[in-house]
Amino acid sequence: MVAFPDPNLKQTRVKTIMNPFIEIITQPDNIAIVIMIFMVTFFMAWAFQQAFQNDRLKAAGMPVDGEHDQDVDTFRPLVRIELIISLVVMVFLTIWSIAVDAPLEEIANPTITPNPAKAPWYFLGLQELLVYFDPWLAGVVLPTLIVVGLIAIPYIDINPKGNGYYTFEERKYSIIIFSFGFFILWLLLIVIGVFFRGPGWLWYWPWQEWDHQRVVFEPTRDLTQLIGIESRSIPGFIIGAIVVIGYYVAGLIAPLRYWKKNNPELLAKLGMIRYYLIMFLFVTMMSVPIKMILRLVFLVKYVWITPWFNV
Amino acid sequence: MANENPHSSNYRAYLFAALSITLLALSAWVIWNDEFGLRPWKHYQKEYKSLKHDKLEKDYQQALQDFRRSGGARRLAMLEAQLAKAEEAFKQKGVHDRYVELNAQLDDLHAKMATNQKELQMTRGQFLETEYYFTKTQKPEYKKKMDELQRQIDTIDGKGKALLVKEEPIRQAIYKLTGGMTEIRAEIEAIRKSLEERKEKIANNDKAPIEIKQYLIKDTDKADRCVSCHAGIESNVQVSKKEPYTKHPLGFVYLGHHDPTKFGCTFCHRGQGRATTTIEKAHGNVKHWEEPMLKGNMTQTSCLNCHGDIKNLRGAEKIANDTELIRKYGCYSCHKIPGYEGMGDVGPELTNVGTKVNYSWAVRWLMDPKKYFSTARMPKFFFTKDQAEAIADYLFSMSGTTRHDVDYATATPNEQLVEQGKMLWSQARCNLCHMTNGKGGNHIKVYAPDLSKAGSKVNKTWLFNWIKDPNKYFPGTRMPRFRFTDQEINALVEYIVSEYQDDEAESAYTTPVQISAASIKKGKDLIQQYGCYGCHKIQGMEMVQVAPSLKSQGVTFLRSDEMREKIGTELSSIGSKPVDLLDFGKLKKSIPNDRLSYIKQKLRDPRGFRLGLRMPNFGLSEKEVNELAAVLYGFTDSNVPVRFLVPSRQELEKMAGVPGYKFTGDFAKVISDVKCTNCHTIKGIGADYAPDLSLAGSKLQESWIRSFLANPDVIRPLLQQMPKLGLTMGPKPAKITMPKFNLGVQKVEDTNRSDVDVVVNYFQQELVTPDIPKDLPVIADIVMPEQIAMGKKLYDQKGCVACHQIGADGGAVGPNLSNVGNRLRAGFIFKHLENSRKFKPDIVEPNYGFTERERIFLTNYLMTLKLTAK
Amino acid sequence: MNSLYDKVKKNLIWKSVFRRDYKDTVRNRAQAIFGNVFLHLHPVRVRESAVKLRFTWGMGGITLLSFIILTVTGIVLMFYYHPTVDLAFLDIKDLEYQVPYGVISRNLHRWAAHFMVIVVMIHMFRVFMTGSYKFPRQFNWGVGVILLVLTFLLSFTGYLLPWDQLGFWAITVGTNMGAATPLLGYQGPFSEYLHITPYNDIRFALLGGARVGGNALLRSYIWHCVALPLITIILMSVHFWRVRKDGGISRPQP
Repeated sequence: MVAFPDPNLKQTRVKTIMNPFIEIITQPDNIAIVIMIFMVTFFMAWAFQQAFQNDRLKAAGMPVDGEHDQDVDTFRPLVRIELIISLVVMVFLTIWSIAVDAPLEEIANPTITPNPAKAPWYFLGLQELLVYFDPWLAGVVLPTLIVVGLIAIPYIDINPKGNGYYTFEERKYSIIIFSFGFFILWLLLIVIGVFFRGPGWLWYWPWQEWDHQRVVFEPTRDLTQLIGIESRSIPGFIIGAIVVIGYYVAGLIAPLRYWKKNNPELLAKLGMIRYYLIMFLFVTMMSVPIKMILRLVFLVKYVWITPWFNV
Repeated sequence: MANENPHSSNYRAYLFAALSITLLALSAWVIWNDEFGLRPWKHYQKEYKSLKHDKLEKDYQQALQDFRRSGGARRLAMLEAQLAKAEEAFKQKGVHDRYVELNAQLDDLHAKMATNQKELQMTRGQFLETEYYFTKTQKPEYKKKMDELQRQIDTIDGKGKALLVKEEPIRQAIYKLTGGMTEIRAEIEAIRKSLEERKEKIANNDKAPIEIKQYLIKDTDKADRCVSCHAGIESNVQVSKKEPYTKHPLGFVYLGHHDPTKFGCTFCHRGQGRATTTIEKAHGNVKHWEEPMLKGNMTQTSCLNCHGDIKNLRGAEKIANDTELIRKYGCYSCHKIPGYEGMGDVGPELTNVGTKVNYSWAVRWLMDPKKYFSTARMPKFFFTKDQAEAIADYLFSMSGTTRHDVDYATATPNEQLVEQGKMLWSQARCNLCHMTNGKGGNHIKVYAPDLSKAGSKVNKTWLFNWIKDPNKYFPGTRMPRFRFTDQEINALVEYIVSEYQDDEAESAYTTPVQISAASIKKGKDLIQQYGCYGCHKIQGMEMVQVAPSLKSQGVTFLRSDEMREKIGTELSSIGSKPVDLLDFGKLKKSIPNDRLSYIKQKLRDPRGFRLGLRMPNFGLSEKEVNELAAVLYGFTDSNVPVRFLVPSRQELEKMAGVPGYKFTGDFAKVISDVKCTNCHTIKGIGADYAPDLSLAGSKLQESWIRSFLANPDVIRPLLQQMPKLGLTMGPKPAKITMPKFNLGVQKVEDTNRSDVDVVVNYFQQELVTPDIPKDLPVIADIVMPEQIAMGKKLYDQKGCVACHQIGADGGAVGPNLSNVGNRLRAGFIFKHLENSRKFKPDIVEPNYGFTERERIFLTNYLMTLKLTAK
Repeated sequence: MNSLYDKVKKNLIWKSVFRRDYKDTVRNRAQAIFGNVFLHLHPVRVRESAVKLRFTWGMGGITLLSFIILTVTGIVLMFYYHPTVDLAFLDIKDLEYQVPYGVISRNLHRWAAHFMVIVVMIHMFRVFMTGSYKFPRQFNWGVGVILLVLTFLLSFTGYLLPWDQLGFWAITVGTNMGAATPLLGYQGPFSEYLHITPYNDIRFALLGGARVGGNALLRSYIWHCVALPLITIILMSVHFWRVRKDGGISRPQP
């Protein structure tokens, strides 16, 4: 029999002072991110374990996993497995739903802005980018480029190897670049946005108490101010433009010259359109960590200030 | 073992089965949880039903026992025997046959009547059809047919009526045969019914469905499901004292005036009305719900949401009492509070304070008023000695004086004057308002300074001038001008100064010291920073610093009367302010993060949340903190539907365009002098400390008014604020007497009239109502002595003596009637006996429903009750 | 016993519903797949290693399952929900306190939604790691990327529906970025040349107003419950169809 609470007992609002870290990770919505961390870590390890295993087999001249396997009937092996996985998922989701209630806060009130006001967790990577880029870049241009870049992958990756099995050796560069983008620039930034950002979007370590009065003054400068030139002046504008455009030009031209000299076949195979597309996407992607380092280490806010937008 | 052959139908069968069973079990748990775990109200309703069943069963058994004991059972048995006998007689051959025969006749008649009725209907139908065609075509043949049909109808109708006439004799004949039985059966039925009803109640209770019960309040977002668990809350009968089954305390006051189906629960109690799954959620004691439930007396805070007048509101005694604290401490001086606009300064005017008090005293007072007097009203601002001196310097320089003290401690007082002063002190009942040595005074209703140490605070010249004419020094003060002669005032001053010396007083500046300009500047800045001008009128502060919000707009100085924003936060909706907007500062972790805790903590320790706060510490006791918090908690902008609002009398008058009452003529001068409204209410103006005088002219006899003003004495032995119906926790009854103002001695200024004449005249001209007749209606048929005798008889019969005192006999709840014949007008008594609540809504006196003649007798009797002059 | 078995199975009705018996024959196994509209997604025979959990991790299937769970629970929730500012929040409160199985429906919907986002991302990671986007599956990868975006958008539009502080401000923060769109957002670069104001920019189009309010709630609701699921289902059909047509689960070519 269920034990109904005796309403005659004095009900007082019990306030347990929790460890801030536990308080954050036990927020109902954040449990999903904890689950994500575990799942992603597990599957990343599994993928690379299989990739290295296949690489070893290849090196030994043996067929990779599944290369010579036979056909089997779909019914029952596959259907049974699908049903089992479905059951596992449903059991998992049911337990999750019984254990944790979906959050419902106060009724929407446009006059009270919570601090910090966070976007849904899967967009927190983009919100984190707002620290380093203006909204038009972080919120519009970069996400668009991410989607375009993802769709473009099959067309710019002309490496025919590694189709249908895990491997690392045969697709080193594409895997490294993709993993960097996926794990670091997407997932890690989400985790930072969820667990390490507090009021005022300031950095809080898990053991630190959130302090709504906390003021952090970071004397940021623009890049040209580092060398003593006012960034909002004509020379500042020109220098900024040179840096930004120069970064792209150098990023596009330097590998071209290098490959022309050392690996002209590869370049010929790629073709110029594909080459420029790859390098544009890659250079843009690398601009994110570069800008982060500029901002965090050198306290640089903008590189290039124009009357219309700032970079 | 699991079969590893993927083609086998047993492939991973155990895993599959185990998972299926797990999911099934989880589903079962979900269903069980949804049915019971999340529905605790089902349990409570069942429990309540069984408790109610027990109670009803007990009542039933009790009634059954009473029934048996009271002889009801014997009567029933007798009736049943009679019935049996009657039935036996009825069954005899002749009677029964006759009965059967009559019934057959009746049936036959009914059949005929039915046929007749059907025929009538058909003919009428034909008639209507024909009429339709006739109106459409206007052909005469239809008209003819209509007439024919009408004739038929009349014939059939006539037959029917003839049949109906036959019915009655048959019925009567049947009744004659069975009549005795019917009567006995009816009586048996009546006797049984009283018990059956109880049984039915039990059955109804057992049948009642277990279901969510809720009050849906239209035009609001309320759906209060509290009654789903609090099943007995609406009941008039206490089924169980245990929560949640108990009935609403004082339900006849609260629920009686607020029909739960229209008001619900959460308008008053707050909490989360929709929640039903746990107690914490329902009572709102959970995260993301900012309105925890209000319990007990604290709920009265919600009266403020709708009621404009809290005073004299039944059931709101606690909150009415608590709101006095706002007035006492003058919260409205620094905070904007609705309903407290233009209340006037709470502190004395400081324009000439330098001529009034000793400098050392001022510094000491500024530093910690509570340390000087524990009952001091002025809060502590935590000034350092330097700061206090700077402020005192500013104030003294504005009065044109220097740092100076006068010390009377060493002087020898004039014994004769002191003696006379002491007598005057008690005659004038100074102690009624002023506290001395912890005695006397009334700190909530009438606030006056404690005079225990006055002798070391003020100088004699000032005190003399003050008593002579308080309005001159401080227009708008509540201190009345007593009609003392100069000699008497001298005596009083001598008495006060010699009697009320402060042993701890310092007098560092018996030789005056000049004040430095730098210190004055510093003092001015401090006064501006802490907003002393909120409570005191201060010279040089007509220009005051503006609120920070205006400062950002480039405005730096405003004249005080132009200043819209007060120095403190607006409190109009503090009781519904989102918790996110409350700054808990460094106490975030140490006190519960809810609104009430914040308010209480703010009152306890106003500057404790963080550095830089300016609110002073009022040194409130924990009781006062709770009371004040209860009031503040009631200042909400909750979206109460307009239909719930009960505006105050003033608001209503404003809406109706009735100008507020103003005293006129010479009486206004007397009022501003004697401050009658400190204690009395007259036409809605003033305090409720002493009787309402709005109708005094109709109520009191002139001669009595005159003699009373000359020599006030106790009318009511007990204070008006007696505990009524156990609702209030008012102050302990104490003897309250009106001070002697020495009226009638002096003329009102600019006129030739004595002030008593002015008062009496005004009473008779203005404070009257046409509802109260001047004289008593005369009864001509009975001689006066007999009328008086009958009145006396009524007085004794109705138990008036239980509350009223005549001579040495009687209770002390109502006024003493020993001298009522001299005091009240006969017309008033007559009207009062008709409906005492008409002139005084909160009166305790019951309404006996006297007839007019009875009232005349009683009045005539009461008018004979006169005390002859001592 | 056997006669009862025969009576149940050997009649017109049974035979009209079930086209085969349960005997384990090659023909029956094949028929189980192509005789069933749902299993028909699969080929009759697959590569042995494609059945192994270690290769696909079942992520695509789990995503589909999550989507189905979300559809079912979502329909239940729709019965009790009005997309208006006055009622939305109270409806969710009632789901929590009053509606039979309201709590479990809402919880399942919420957590399955989060779960689906996670699983979709891991699915994409798996497809990349096995190089399955390569010839001949380039197009299907693109469809998959759009489905990923649609998953985000489905979750994002659902976030506002409870009309509580959490959703309200998450959507406010999210859509404010839209205001910074170059040319089309009023805070974006070059927008002044197009005379873009807060009242005609792209955010206004998203929210149906200059700030999150009743119109935004209604738009969220329609996108979340009608438009996006429809688009998703169409693209999912394309996605599954192309998996079959492009040769099933990718495997190393011998």
